[in-house]
Amino acid sequence: MAQLPRQQAIGTNIADRLLMSATASGPTYRATPPVEARRSAWLATLRQSAPGMLLVLPAVIFFVVLFIVPVGTMITFSFFLQTKTGDIGTTLTLANYARLASVDLYRTVLFTTIRVSLFTTIGTMILAYPVALVMVRGNQMVARVLAIIVIAPLLVNVVIRTYGWRVILTNSQNGVLNWLLTQLGIEPVRILYTEWAIVIGSIHVFLPLMVLPLAAALGKIDPYVEEAARTLGASSWEVFRKVTLPLSIPGLAVGSTLVFSLTSSSFVAPALLGGNFAKMLGTLVEEQIMSVFDWPFGAAIATVLIVIVLVINFAYIRLVERRFPTRATPVM
Amino acid sequence: MGGSNLGPSGPLLYTAAAVVAVFLLAPLVVPIIISFSDTAFVTFPPKGFTLRWYWKILNEPEFTSSFRFSVMLAVIATLGALLLGTPTAIGLVRYRFPGRGMIQSLVLSPLVFPMLVTGIALLRMFTTVNSQSSLVNLTLGHILVTVPYVVRTVSSSLLLLDPSVEDAARTLGAGRLETFWRVTRPQIMPGLVAGAIFAFVTSFDNYPVSMWLADAVNIPLPLMIFTLTSRFFDPGIAAIATLMILVSVALILIMERVTGLRRAMSM
Repeated sequence: MAQLPRQQAIGTNIADRLLMSATASGPTYRATPPVEARRSAWLATLRQSAPGMLLVLPAVIFFVVLFIVPVGTMITFSFFLQTKTGDIGTTLTLANYARLASVDLYRTVLFTTIRVSLFTTIGTMILAYPVALVMVRGNQMVARVLAIIVIAPLLVNVVIRTYGWRVILTNSQNGVLNWLLTQLGIEPVRILYTEWAIVIGSIHVFLPLMVLPLAAALGKIDPYVEEAARTLGASSWEVFRKVTLPLSIPGLAVGSTLVFSLTSSSFVAPALLGGNFAKMLGTLVEEQIMSVFDWPFGAAIATVLIVIVLVINFAYIRLVERRFPTRATPVM
Repeated sequence: MGGSNLGPSGPLLYTAAAVVAVFLLAPLVVPIIISFSDTAFVTFPPKGFTLRWYWKILNEPEFTSSFRFSVMLAVIATLGALLLGTPTAIGLVRYRFPGRGMIQSLVLSPLVFPMLVTGIALLRMFTTVNSQSSLVNLTLGHILVTVPYVVRTVSSSLLLLDPSVEDAARTLGAGRLETFWRVTRPQIMPGLVAGAIFAFVTSFDNYPVSMWLADAVNIPLPLMIFTLTSRFFDPGIAAIATLMILVSVALILIMERVTGLRRAMSM
């Protein structure tokens, strides 16, 4: 389960109100020399911010020690080479990144990761639309049931969900899909241990993260706008393409950002559904650190994963947030 | 709007939504069906009916010990996340101070940061400082990734609460702690409960952080199930899946009762 990076305007109004009441009943002014005035103003600010700072202090220390420092150290690590004895070299180098980009095997993994993440994102978009539309505008009872069906898988362990897909996609006659196809008189297929298996499994895992922001965005569209387009003679498809779709882009963008970044750094789905035949960066980094013990190279792959997430989020801010100042409310 | 408002393409949309619902439920329903199959390996359609796979896994020490360990880990992580996250949420919502926005982004960042990478970074650090207790390492890692949920849900609850109620309690002579315990806490209870459930589920289901920090002794349940799927080919795994799905359904029902599912998810 992942959530959004964007800050909510937590407590802006309340805090402003508090501030206003503080200044209204504040100390009365008297003639003081400028230096003393500045110092007392500084002291007042400190006194005002001290309780809040004290409250967040434990979490800040915790996050600096267990998040910022370790991630920073890991990124630094990726710029060194490991010697044959297992020690870490002393000269800064880009060799680990060059290796990732130049060795065919690793480049394939990089492209597979991007391809799978892209197809998963597109797949979730297509599947999310009808669901989100029904959730927002459909019959209330149906919408409620659908919401539970969409959210429920989020609370089921990823390993369990992926295991379910393994059973369904098994290549032999024992697989559920192949049994169904045989019943329908269609040739059985081999999907397990291909990129498509990872895409199907990932769509299942991340679909809720697309549906929820999309539903939030669709909920904000005034149905009368679409009604008006229809009255003016637009077909259903035109209404969707020219009114609904453009207005829902903020929700779509939030969902895509989440789905793409989470798919690119996933491990369970590629490991269980792709096996050795379709590797992704997540499975490669596990292999490099846990089996090959090449820490610097593993750190470089991990850093690439961070870069992918940063690029996606940056693109989101550049392309969407600026054009659509009222973005979809962050969901999950 | 009470009823349907889908326009002329309504039936088409309902059909499409139903197909997606089947897609979403399929990998959850299939293991449940297979878990009763009286065959030595996973096959579909199942043949016969038996409960022996449930009997088998409940007597499988690897499964039961991992289950107990995961519950313990999730409880400790949840308590840690509540203790660390609640004051943080109060500080961020109720007070103004320099760097507040940055701190808010910081404590929420593990939600978007690739968890796999968080796990690698933690493993590197724990190795460097020679922290060898997998229980301690796992606990700290799980607290890190569960705190954001508590901060979010508690913040949402605090925003709904009028701070003048707290001011009134203070004016009437209650201390800060007493005000929190007797005025604020009861009113942000839905946020605390939702945060605790999210934290528990996140820790109990976590794979990408646990996979780096576990050792041969303390194996969280998701890792154990992962290993078992490549070792066992009988419907025992399906029985485990069924039990886990039932646990999730129970949690969903609790959440629906306490806060309402959709509200809880949008926090």
